[in-house]
Amino acid sequence: MNKTFLILMRSVTAALCLFAMAQSALAQDAAKAPRKDLALKGDAVCTRCHGVDEEYPVLAIGQTKHGTVADKRTPTCISCHGASETHINRPAGVSERPKPTISFNKKGGTQPEEQNQTCLTCHQGGKRTHWQTSLHATRDTTCVACHQVHAAHDKVRDKRDQAQVCYTCHKEQRAQSQRPSRHPIPEGKMTCSDCHNPHGSAGPKNLVRDNVNDTCYTCHMEKRGPFVRTHQPVQEDCSICHNPHGTTTPNLLKTRSPFLCQQCHEPTSHRGNFGSLTGNSTSANAAARGCLNCHTQIHGTNNPANISNERTFRR
Amino acid sequence: MKPQSSSFRLTAVAAATFAAFSAFAANEEAAELTKPTSSVQFGLGYVDNDNRRFGQYNGLNQEGAYGLLGVDIVKRDDATGTWLKLRGRNLGLDNQDLRFEHEAQGNWGYYVEFDQIPRSEPYQAFTGVQGIGSNVLTIPAVSTRTTLVDLETKRERIGLGFSKHFSEVWNFKVDFRNEEKKGARLWGRGTTTPAFEFTPEPIDSTTRLLEATLGYTGKNLQLSGGYFGTMFNNAYNGLSFSGGNAGLSTFNPIALPPDNHSHQLFLSGAYTFTPTTQGNFKVAYGKALQNDAFVTGINVPMAPGIGNNLQGRIDTTLVQMGITARPMPKLTLRGNLRYDDRDDKTPVLRYSTLATGTSTFNGDNEPRSNRTTTGNFEASYMLPMAFRLIGGLDYEEKKRSLSQVRIVSHRDRTDETSYRAELRRSVSDTLTGAIGYIHSSRDGSPFLQTTLNNGTAGSNVVAPIHLANRDRDKIRLSANWQATEPLSLQFVLDQSQDKYEGDRDGSGLGPRKGESQNYSIDASYIFNDKVQGTAYFSRNDTKLDQSSRTSGGQLWAAALQNTGDSMGLGLRGKPYAWLEMGGDVSYSDITDKYGQSAITGAAIASLPEVTTKLTRLQLFAKFATQKNAGVRLDYIYDRFSTNDWTWSTWTYSDGTRMLQDPVQKVNFVGVSYYYRWQ
Repeated sequence: MNKTFLILMRSVTAALCLFAMAQSALAQDAAKAPRKDLALKGDAVCTRCHGVDEEYPVLAIGQTKHGTVADKRTPTCISCHGASETHINRPAGVSERPKPTISFNKKGGTQPEEQNQTCLTCHQGGKRTHWQTSLHATRDTTCVACHQVHAAHDKVRDKRDQAQVCYTCHKEQRAQSQRPSRHPIPEGKMTCSDCHNPHGSAGPKNLVRDNVNDTCYTCHMEKRGPFVRTHQPVQEDCSICHNPHGTTTPNLLKTRSPFLCQQCHEPTSHRGNFGSLTGNSTSANAAARGCLNCHTQIHGTNNPANISNERTFRR
Repeated sequence: MKPQSSSFRLTAVAAATFAAFSAFAANEEAAELTKPTSSVQFGLGYVDNDNRRFGQYNGLNQEGAYGLLGVDIVKRDDATGTWLKLRGRNLGLDNQDLRFEHEAQGNWGYYVEFDQIPRSEPYQAFTGVQGIGSNVLTIPAVSTRTTLVDLETKRERIGLGFSKHFSEVWNFKVDFRNEEKKGARLWGRGTTTPAFEFTPEPIDSTTRLLEATLGYTGKNLQLSGGYFGTMFNNAYNGLSFSGGNAGLSTFNPIALPPDNHSHQLFLSGAYTFTPTTQGNFKVAYGKALQNDAFVTGINVPMAPGIGNNLQGRIDTTLVQMGITARPMPKLTLRGNLRYDDRDDKTPVLRYSTLATGTSTFNGDNEPRSNRTTTGNFEASYMLPMAFRLIGGLDYEEKKRSLSQVRIVSHRDRTDETSYRAELRRSVSDTLTGAIGYIHSSRDGSPFLQTTLNNGTAGSNVVAPIHLANRDRDKIRLSANWQATEPLSLQFVLDQSQDKYEGDRDGSGLGPRKGESQNYSIDASYIFNDKVQGTAYFSRNDTKLDQSSRTSGGQLWAAALQNTGDSMGLGLRGKPYAWLEMGGDVSYSDITDKYGQSAITGAAIASLPEVTTKLTRLQLFAKFATQKNAGVRLDYIYDRFSTNDWTWSTWTYSDGTRMLQDPVQKVNFVGVSYYYRWQ
């Protein structure tokens, strides 16, 4: 029994020694071999420090389109961050490691325009054709202020999360999105970039289409007409009456009837009556749909009926 | 010595073995971080109350259990750079979406997607009207209420797209979207008889968008040109009625939105003249057409010569060009010009032959043409300490067509000029921000007399809010302050004041004065590397003073005010490797005041204030049972309360009432299992 055990132990020890020696040799070979790239082409020089334990994780870029190295257009670390020689090889006598040539944050000393130009080297044209003259560009908004380039999940490109990124600066819109009448933004069924192109556009307010109405029509095309009977502000600009970011009044109206209507209409006949919930016919002009109780076709009607004063949008 | 030597050898071997395993583990970990991850999540949720608000856009508006299913499959062939993606969210629910994408990155790609957006009307109808959702409604002969009806619409969208890179500089892209919208929405018909009836509008329409773009992306020149077409088809062109009040017999049928379509050709581009000078442009020309057959069944004779459709046509032209240049290292200039013309070429015909000399109409249809020309110029100069001083000038001219006989005051041109100054600091370790001031002034051509059909003057006392002369002053301040290493604060303040000349001929009527204030403070705090929190508070206050005159000649004013306070707290933490948790609570308190008061004559009562409060608490916790799998718990508490009186005093002539639970509380609990793989 003892002899058998002794033989067994020796055999196990010998096997372990052989395995350990083999691993030792492999490890020494690995130490001598050049480091492998982990995510991007030529990233070994960077990932020796910016590896798996990095305080600011960078390797997840490998999961993104930037990390698709089979696409020859994809970047290296250096193509975005610059040669960064003193960052890679800290000069003797320097206590704090110098920053990379191009740093993508507010503290790095790289000017916003230079940061953005780095991205535009590859990403110019298309939806970014109007970037250079956009308000975001001229107000020093950087690409990384919105985009998380090293993250597997870039929040601003996800419909559910995008608005939260925009609210970082657009506080008024954040508050309005919590009003009772709103678009389905909190539910993630619609988001800011459905209407706005944050990279700039030929339309006002970075709208995705050439003007306010054309943008609204992409979802509300029934309002386009043209109609037999048209309502002037409807054809000019939806935002004269509606605030698309959220309101208290139903249907995103800026205020309720009759006050909204009285901002334009002459106070002849019932049009100038003060708001009331009681009375009959036109007296109860603040109740229910207000003026629209009768003028139901407020966006215009295609009814050609030959009826006196048919242009009052009631049919 | 021998044992010592043996011991040394064994220790070295063990260390080498450990190093080798560590390197192997690091490589494994690196692979985990760099390879796309797929996941699936399934479980069960429960809503404890019927509701109209919480479930308005997510379909969770009925008490009961709901299945929870989501998938996110991402595969990449590293050798070829080919992606395969399948993402589904809320599968099986009314707000589900599913997208499949296949792409050889940098070469070709296509996608197919499906998306549903439900919408519930916040008010519930208690009605006897029948046929809701169809284009023929039956209105009860006597006022009655028999059924609770939830008005809802649902959009179902299918998207398709394809893209191809022909070379490093040429690419082609086409996107198509087909959206079907069905349901019914709150609507009515009425007249001063008085008779007001609940007549929900049937929705059964299809909207299609098609955009094809050929792009060129050179080093200095980028171009995109193509076609953008849209089409709207409505299954119904009219809503007709049986029954109902005899006084409404001529309001039958009511026309529904007509089919229409548009076609646009566009070319946009950018050019880098020098490393410091770039320009961009867009030109587009389009036509929008509406020639849907008129609604049939109109029970009065038509005016002669109008044909069977409008022959509506609008031609659109857009020309935009912009340039930015840095003539000196510290000076940046930017200019932009835009011309947007909407030329309504719809034939003018006499649709009504019943106008008299004192009518405020002549019976013609009124095409609306608009032309907007905008220009802006801005200079920005870098100052020491990363400050930037910006000055700008904006100009906007709007021209509008007008018809011969008008019921509302009108001017065919408005001009608005704005002057801006701003001091900004965008790069700093501790404090960035901006302070800016804008002054705008709008005026325009003389107001045209509102006339009756016989040419005599009508009422001319109000200047519409979008046409009236207006002076606007606005200040905006924003600051981002890294107060301490873990604490950052953000302040935003903007305040504007509008002064309208909303009257004409010194009547004192119309819009008079407006104000807007928005304040917010945000804070984020990093407690440690595993826990961080956020908090915010915002106040938004808008006011508008306006006045009008009753039919009896009494002058009165309204001081409209909307005040909203919003606040929120958020916490995210991963205290253990196996536990991730977080929560958000938000609260909004919004009040509308109407401030009606008499200017002349007897006192008048104001409308009651409307206050709405919304509270939401959201909590989640993810318990990892394995490295790549675990259980997720979700809890939502949603409370909506209001004293909104909009429908409280109102009963339609047919007996219908619109109801809303003034306090709606909903608890949602979800339990799901998730699994991730690579």
